[in-house]
Amino acid sequence: MHEYSLAHALLQALTDHLREHPVRGRIRAVHVRKGELLILSEEALAEAWRILAEGTAAAGSELQIERVPVKVRCGSCGYAGPVRYSTDEGWHFAVPVLSCPRCGGRAEVVEGRELAIVGLSVDEDSSEAG
Amino acid sequence: MHDIRVGTEDVFKRQLELAARNYELLQNRKVRAFNVMGAIGSGKTLLILRLAERLKDKGLRVGAIAGDVAGDDDYQRFAAAGLVAANLNTGDDCHLDAHRVGHALEDFPLGEVDVLFIENVGNLVCPADFPLGTEGELVVISVTEGDDMVRKHPKIFAQTDVLAVNKVDLAGFVGVDPMVLVDDYRRLNPHGKVVLTDARSGRGVDELLGALGL
Ligand SMILES: Nc1nc2c(ncn2[C@@H]2O[C@H](COP(=O)(O)OP(=O)(O)OP(=O)(O)O)[C@@H](O)[C@H]2O)c(=O)[nH]1
Ligand SMILES: [Mg+2]
Ligand SMILES: [Zn+2]
Ligand SMILES: [Zn+2]
Ligand SMILES: [Zn+2]
Repeated sequence: MHEYSLAHALLQALTDHLREHPVRGRIRAVHVRKGELLILSEEALAEAWRILAEGTAAAGSELQIERVPVKVRCGSCGYAGPVRYSTDEGWHFAVPVLSCPRCGGRAEVVEGRELAIVGLSVDEDSSEAG
Repeated sequence: MHDIRVGTEDVFKRQLELAARNYELLQNRKVRAFNVMGAIGSGKTLLILRLAERLKDKGLRVGAIAGDVAGDDDYQRFAAAGLVAANLNTGDDCHLDAHRVGHALEDFPLGEVDVLFIENVGNLVCPADFPLGTEGELVVISVTEGDDMVRKHPKIFAQTDVLAVNKVDLAGFVGVDPMVLVDDYRRLNPHGKVVLTDARSGRGVDELLGALGL
C-alpha cells in the first residue's frame, strides 16, 4: 500500500548515487533486491517506479525485482540459514515461519527485509541517439 | 548494453535507525511502549482503554498516541478516559512509521507516563514493515472480520508476537469459530501468544496484559 513512497525512496537513493557516480547512456533496467518479508506488491512497485521515474535520469527504465528469501540466526543452537515455510492449502502462498528450523527456538531475522538497488543495465549507444 | 553493480543505501535503513532512536528514548525515559496494530474497527481503541483501566488499578500511568489517517475520534476517546493522549494523523499514509512517531514522542510528556500505547492505522497490510521502536507489538483482529483473516494476511501475523482475537462475544452471531484463527496463528508463529478478548465486558484483558508482559 506504500509502494509509491518506497519507489520514491529508491529513486532518491539512485539519484544520490548518480550524482557521485554518473553513468553514460540510458538506464534500461534498475535491479532491486527485495526481502520476501516485506509486504509489497511487486507489480505496484514497478508501476510506481515507471511513473515516478519520468523526467529523471531513470526515465523509461524498468524495475527488475529479485526476491530475497528469509535467513535467520538462532540464538539457542547457532543455526544460520533459511527457514521452514508454512504452506497450508488455505494460504495463498508459502509463508516463512520465523523460528529456528533445527531446534524450534526463536530466531533473529538477518535477511528478508531489505530493499535496495544493486545494479543498473545501461545502454551506452542510446545516449547519442536520444 | 552492460550491467553496472551499484549499492545504494537500503531504503529501510533510515527507518530502522529512527526506530532504534525511539527505542533508546523510551528506554531512557523508562516508558514501556507498545505498537498496537490491527484491522479497521477490530477494537484496538477499546482494548487499549480496557488495558489502561487495569494498569491504572496497578498504580501505573498510561498514555496513548492515536494514529489515524484523519480525524481525532480515537484521541478524544483516550483523552476523555483520562489518558495522557496525543493525536497523530498520517495524512494519506496507511501506516505509522518511526519518523512520524519520533516527532510525536518529541512533543509527548513522556515523564507523565509509565506505559504508552501507540495505536497504529487500522490496516493488516503494511504496519508490519515499519517497526516504531516499541518494546512490544500487538495485533488485534475480531471475529466479525471472518475466520480467514490470519490466512489472508499471513505476514503480519508471522512477525507479531501477541495476537488478540477480539469481539468473541459476537462469535456465535457471525458464525465464526475463534479457534480457527487461533490455530492458523499458532502455525504461522509458534512463539506467539494469542488471547481471546471481549473488550466490551473486559473478558481476557488480564490475560492480554500478561501476554504483553505488563
Ligand atoms: N461486541 C463487541 N464490540 C466491540 C468489542 N470491541 C470493540 N467493540 C466495538 O467495535 C467498534 C470499534 O471499536 P474500536 O475500538 O473503535 O476499534 P478500532 O480498531 O480502534 O477502530 P479504528 O481505529 O477505526 O480502526 C466500537 O463500536 C466498539 O465499541 C468487543 O469485544 N465486542
Ligand atoms: Mg481506533
Ligand atoms: Zn536453533
Ligand atoms: Zn502503508
Ligand atoms: Zn523529521
